[in-house]
Amino acid sequence: MAMGITSKNHDKASRGIPRLGYDMVARPDFRTEASADLPETRTLARGRKRIGLAIALFSVGFAVIGGKLLMLGAGSLTAPTQVASAPRPMVTEGRVTRPNVVDRNGEVMAIDIMTASLYADIKDIQNREEAVQALRRVLPHLNEKTLRRRLSKAGGNVRLMRELTPRQEYAVHNLGLPGINFEKEFKRVYPNGTMAGHVLGYVNANNEGVAGIEYHIDHGDLLAQEQVAVSVDMRVQHVLRDELAQAMSTFSAKAAVGVVMDVTTGEVIGMSSLPDFDPNDPMASEDNARFSRATLGVYEMGSTFKAFSVAASLDSGLVQLGDRFDARKPLKVAGGFSIRDFHAQKRELSVSEVFMHSSNIGTAKMVMELGRDRHRSFLSSLGLLERPDIELPERGKPLLPARWTDLSTMTISYGHGISVTPLQMTAAGAAIVNGGFKVSPTFVRQDGDLKERKRVMSAQTSKSMRKLMRLVVAEGTGRRADVAGYPVIGKTGTAEKAVGGGYSRKALLTSFLSAFPADNPRYAMLVMLDEPQGTKATYNFATAGWNAAPLTGRIVRRIAPMLGLKPEGNWQSPLQSVSYTQR
Amino acid sequence: MSDGFFGGPGGGRDLRIKEKFFEFNWGLLLLLIAIASMGFAMLYSVADGNWDPWATRQIIRFCMGVVILFVVAFVDVRVWMSLAYPAYAVSLLLLVGVELIGFKGMGAQRWINLGFMQLQPSELMKITLILALARYFHALTSEQVSRIRFVIPPLIMIGVPMALVLKQPDLGTALLLAVVGISLFFLAGLAWRYFIVAGIAVMGAIPVIWSRLHDYQKQRVLTFMDPESDPLGAGYHILQSKIALGSGGLFGKGFMQGTQAHLNFLPEKHTDFIFTMLAEELGLVGAMTLMVLYLMVLLFGITVGLQTRNQFGRLVALGVVVNFFLYIFINIAMVMGLLPVVGVPLPLVSYGGTAMLTLMLGFGLLMCVYIHRNMEINRNPTSFW
Repeated sequence: MAMGITSKNHDKASRGIPRLGYDMVARPDFRTEASADLPETRTLARGRKRIGLAIALFSVGFAVIGGKLLMLGAGSLTAPTQVASAPRPMVTEGRVTRPNVVDRNGEVMAIDIMTASLYADIKDIQNREEAVQALRRVLPHLNEKTLRRRLSKAGGNVRLMRELTPRQEYAVHNLGLPGINFEKEFKRVYPNGTMAGHVLGYVNANNEGVAGIEYHIDHGDLLAQEQVAVSVDMRVQHVLRDELAQAMSTFSAKAAVGVVMDVTTGEVIGMSSLPDFDPNDPMASEDNARFSRATLGVYEMGSTFKAFSVAASLDSGLVQLGDRFDARKPLKVAGGFSIRDFHAQKRELSVSEVFMHSSNIGTAKMVMELGRDRHRSFLSSLGLLERPDIELPERGKPLLPARWTDLSTMTISYGHGISVTPLQMTAAGAAIVNGGFKVSPTFVRQDGDLKERKRVMSAQTSKSMRKLMRLVVAEGTGRRADVAGYPVIGKTGTAEKAVGGGYSRKALLTSFLSAFPADNPRYAMLVMLDEPQGTKATYNFATAGWNAAPLTGRIVRRIAPMLGLKPEGNWQSPLQSVSYTQR
Repeated sequence: MSDGFFGGPGGGRDLRIKEKFFEFNWGLLLLLIAIASMGFAMLYSVADGNWDPWATRQIIRFCMGVVILFVVAFVDVRVWMSLAYPAYAVSLLLLVGVELIGFKGMGAQRWINLGFMQLQPSELMKITLILALARYFHALTSEQVSRIRFVIPPLIMIGVPMALVLKQPDLGTALLLAVVGISLFFLAGLAWRYFIVAGIAVMGAIPVIWSRLHDYQKQRVLTFMDPESDPLGAGYHILQSKIALGSGGLFGKGFMQGTQAHLNFLPEKHTDFIFTMLAEELGLVGAMTLMVLYLMVLLFGITVGLQTRNQFGRLVALGVVVNFFLYIFINIAMVMGLLPVVGVPLPLVSYGGTAMLTLMLGFGLLMCVYIHRNMEINRNPTSFW
């Protein structure tokens, strides 16, 4: 206690009204000599040093965010938008020239074109009013006031308009106005419009790729290349998008996704996520349309997942095709939760029947034979448990259970309690049917020799799975997917969407994981419809067998011949035999 | 506020209301009005040139905030000092209260309805914690600060509300409370050895804790550190936010002209992501202007901290400054993708009531400290009145 000051103050305070603390003193304008050596003063002096360090930390914080802000803004600073008095050559430097993007057959998908921008070099303008009137005559959409304001600047090179058409350029040129010049700039154009927006991505105002393959071009060091070939086949892409759009409108679905993949190389031959956007003007579409459901969205896929669970069981050797599983009554598990069947058979089912009738009970029992860890590591080996390593920046990370319990294993066995991207799903499906090799999806055309592949299951398992999947299409839920001449194999999935805390019976997510041709699959495909509705033609059913399966059939019918596959059996169109050769 | 309370003789005297008016720093108020006005303009623009639904309400809240600032600033700093512990206790009770009410099944209620606005006790706690810690450290000599038995009580004072907030669960606010608390320790002059030991202990503990975490807990930490793992949310929005930030250029697209924001393309553009919109419409110049205004407020606060002759006022001023700085830094770093997305508003600019009230309360205290900066207060006042 600083008795010195206390007693001194006490004297002073007692002259006033001692209602305030007698040992507290307020001095608005001076400090006493005596206070110089007090402990309080020492505390303050020490604290001041600490403040210095705090200031340093604040400065670092501001420097970091300020610097980042400058970096983000810098891209546009060099762009023509902000050219005020910069020398002319600066103008075009901001915009990057990019390689063309072509499809796997060399068709152009994205290209830089040269456009003219209109600039005024203020010091060369002779008569401002005359210039304004003349420019307005040939470019009537320019705002007179803005034009006048821009031309009134003190000096420098001012941009008046971007992307003039050749006709406009010609007209302005003919005005012969001194000080009015053109600059060449590059503009990215996507001649196919919305066709493959989610694969291509888009560029920003500086022609830098910010999404899709365009992003990959900037960040994968491909800018110097003359052209970049993606794995997509435009013809297949067109069919895929066309059929998905039709199905989406027929079944009044919220969204539709389709992926076609080469089962050997993992190349994505076609990928569409509807609604989609036009990369020529991505911001004209809604957020929702720019979202790539195929690669970034993750979904609980439902019964389609059973293909992986059955494959895991067979491959372990612990379950044989002939084994039977009791599916007479719902499977009661911990927490008063029970697993039921949608197409309940109420009897003992063999493995093939479990798969064909899509029995949740049977599948859950089957994976429990196998055990949690084996099931999980099998899914992991198919690449279903982590973010896929693809070229696009839009890569969704699977949502896994927080704690992988036995119950999770059982629900995951039939595709609930785990969310994955449709792209991953397709790649995993490809591995099941291609003889048992892991498939890593890619969006870039793979030239040269086939890379070494990793075996994830025995060839025998893969063969059995092909048989089981053929059974689904031949006799089970996927009958409407079959195509004459091009036998399809596959598995349907009808998942109830998680709404609020539970699952909704009304909001469905239907999917069909397929491959063709049946005996030696070359392509895997996944189609998915978000909340399809029943129609008269489907007798108001909205399950996958009624929408996703026939959609698959329609697509296969159109793309199989394009992909150079020969129809099965003796039938052959004479045109086909001369047009296509089997690769 | 009678004369008897503030009146006093000669050198050791209290300030009159009139004197307080002279001492009041009108420059700070102008700065705050300037910052808030940028917010009003943005909220007007977000609503496509309408005062409703955001701008008007924000203006009303700011005006109420100014009134609060004046009232808080004109009360004697010793009153705040005497109220520090009770105020801390009250906000602690409120925190416990909402926890219990929430627990009893009336829904997770983290808010208290004040009629004209909702108050979040955890926000109030930020201010009262500063007051209480400042009051505590004020009573210690510089030697005592570093003695272990004097270090324990303030640790508890920080730990208890942190635990309550963590339980809500609101990791972000809990961390903010911790950072503000630790900065006060630092500014109060706690010996370096504590920070060094604590730093080493944390470093050493991380691998041990990490190895003992369950898989799902690890997953949660990783998700927090990697925003893109939320496929529908953060990562996507940050990407778009960056595009918008860059697209503004030097002078921006002009007020009300920001295409990205007006095409309904930015998330939370009137609250947490308002900085993006500002940068798009007003450009680098606009964003930098706002940052300079913020910096001036911070510098003012630091100056107050340097000038004030009582430890309590010094620590309160600096606590308010640290809190303000954290808001700014976390928000801007978040919209630029340097930090994961956490719900921290841009102070005085983002739409929202609680943060505005807390901030203005804080600035009121800062101003109060400034007005009474020359007051010397004994370490252990035996009575307040």
